[in-house]
This record gives sequence, structure tokens and C-alpha cells, in this order.
Amino acid sequence: MAPGLIEPIEHDGLVTHVSRVPLAEFGEQPLRENLNDLDWLERVARAHETVLEAALEHGPIVPLRLCTIYEDEAGVRSMLASEDVRLRDALERLDGRLEWGVKLLVSRDALAAAARERSPEVAALEEELAARQGGGAYMVGRRLERCVAEVTERLASELADDVHAQLGDWARDSVLSSPQNRELSGHEGEMLLNGAYLVDADRTHELRALLAELEERHRGLGARLELTGPWPPYNFVTRGAGAHA
Amino acid sequence: MSSSIAGRDVALVDLVDRLLAGGVVIAGDITLSVADIDLVHVSLRALVSSVPSLEARGAMPRMGDSL
Repeated sequence: MAPGLIEPIEHDGLVTHVSRVPLAEFGEQPLRENLNDLDWLERVARAHETVLEAALEHGPIVPLRLCTIYEDEAGVRSMLASEDVRLRDALERLDGRLEWGVKLLVSRDALAAAARERSPEVAALEEELAARQGGGAYMVGRRLERCVAEVTERLASELADDVHAQLGDWARDSVLSSPQNRELSGHEGEMLLNGAYLVDADRTHELRALLAELEERHRGLGARLELTGPWPPYNFVTRGAGAHA
Repeated sequence: MSSSIAGRDVALVDLVDRLLAGGVVIAGDITLSVADIDLVHVSLRALVSSVPSLEARGAMPRMGDSL
């Protein structure tokens, strides 16, 4: 999609931003194929995002799902009429609030090192291992390995729970997504949390302070918090999206 | 970081996470079902993650050569 002309279509005080697209590209069948073409998808996704970001600077918006296509203006107007209550409700709820993305990343090695330092079970097994030789040492070594893995897992899940609980309690609303695949996102370390948080626009600095505090608290575990945004409120357009809606 | 988004380098993966999973779903005249979108999501993941593995495969013959 060329960054085409964006036209406003208004109905009863609600405005949609639309652009005209060729059916040969955006009809049902071609669309299904094009969505699987990474270059096409990236071009369309970035164009969609650019329009939403520009609109967001002028007030609350409700992002529609990518590739919501109508055959004519009448179709758009009738959608605005039938969705009126839902859209106004969302706009009111999102006014003055921003979506931020927070990812929690850790290094497995740092977590395992912390598990060794902090766990009395691990310490006991290490002591036992040092005192043994031969086959006995092998068995204790295996138990130690398993124990370190278990404690590491527990530390990871406690860490993710703590970060999400602190952010979730503080934010207006929150939504958890699956951690991203490392090959896809290219992040270093392991992603334990991929959350979206709805925050009052005038409290952005508090969010940054809270993230710094959480990162400091969990520095011993090699925790890093990555902030993205502000995003158009993709994750918060539906009432009851998260725990605090 | 300013609160302005302009000029921000948005990772495609973050964008796709939101664009294909988030936003209000309103039936348009041309409607892709949620199942279709989820399939796209999966195949995109497969597509993007296949790039490094292709590179890895490309490196294989060279490793063989040196043996």
C-alpha cells in the first residue's frame, strides 16, 4: 500500500481514517495471500501504524484490526452507526492514557548463578559432591544439576510474577502476551515477560522510575526491563481486556 | 526518551504482535476470520525464524569442505 491519501469519514461526531485500496490487492483472496508475504505485510503494517500514531497525537483513538476493509463509504458510516456505543465507550476509557510495552529479559547463566548462591538445597548438594568420588560423585552431580535447574526455573517465575504484579497493580490495565521468539525479535537473553500496560499520559515518568526500581531490585538475577511505546492502545480497546479494566 | 513516537524504530515483531492480535475486530465488507489472522501470525513466525536457519544451512557445506 503506497502511503496513500488518508481521508476522514465522519458520522455523528465519530471520525474514521480510511484510505482507498485496490480490491486486486485487498480483496478476500489476494489479502489472504498477501498477508503471508512478509514484505507486503511489513509495508502495510508500518503504514497502518504511521496513521494511528499521527492520529494519537490529536486525542484518543480506537485502533481497528489491520485490514478492516469496506467496499464503500456507506459501509464505513453504517459501521460507525452500529458500533457507536462500543466505540464511544472505548474512546472515553482510553482518553489521556497510553499503552506501553514492557519486556523482562534475563540471562539464564545469571539466574543459575543466583540459584547456586541462594538455595540451601544446592549448597548442601555441592558440599556432598565435594566429599564424594567415583560413581557416587556422578549421581550427586546429576542431582545437583537437576536441583539447580529447578531452582532456576522457580527464580524465573517468581521474578516474572513480581515484575508483572508491581506493574499491573500500578497501571490502569494490563495484558500479558506470549514472550517473543528470540529468533524473531533478536533479543539477548531469555524473555520471561511480554506485557502491555495502560498508563495515564501524565505518569510516564513514574513508569520509568518504577521500571528502574524493579531492575535495581532484581539486578542480582541479571534482570533487564525493556520499554517500548507509547503505542496506539491495541491491547486495551476491549473492556475487560485485562485484570483491572 | 520523549513521548513522541515519530522517528522511533519500531521492531516489526512488536508491531505484528499488536497489529494482528490487538485492535477492535469489527466485521468489514471483506472479513478475515480470527482463525485466518492467527494462521498468518503463525506463518509469519515461521517465515521470519526460518531466515537464520537458512543461513545456518548455507554454512554447512563450508564446514564440510574444511574436513
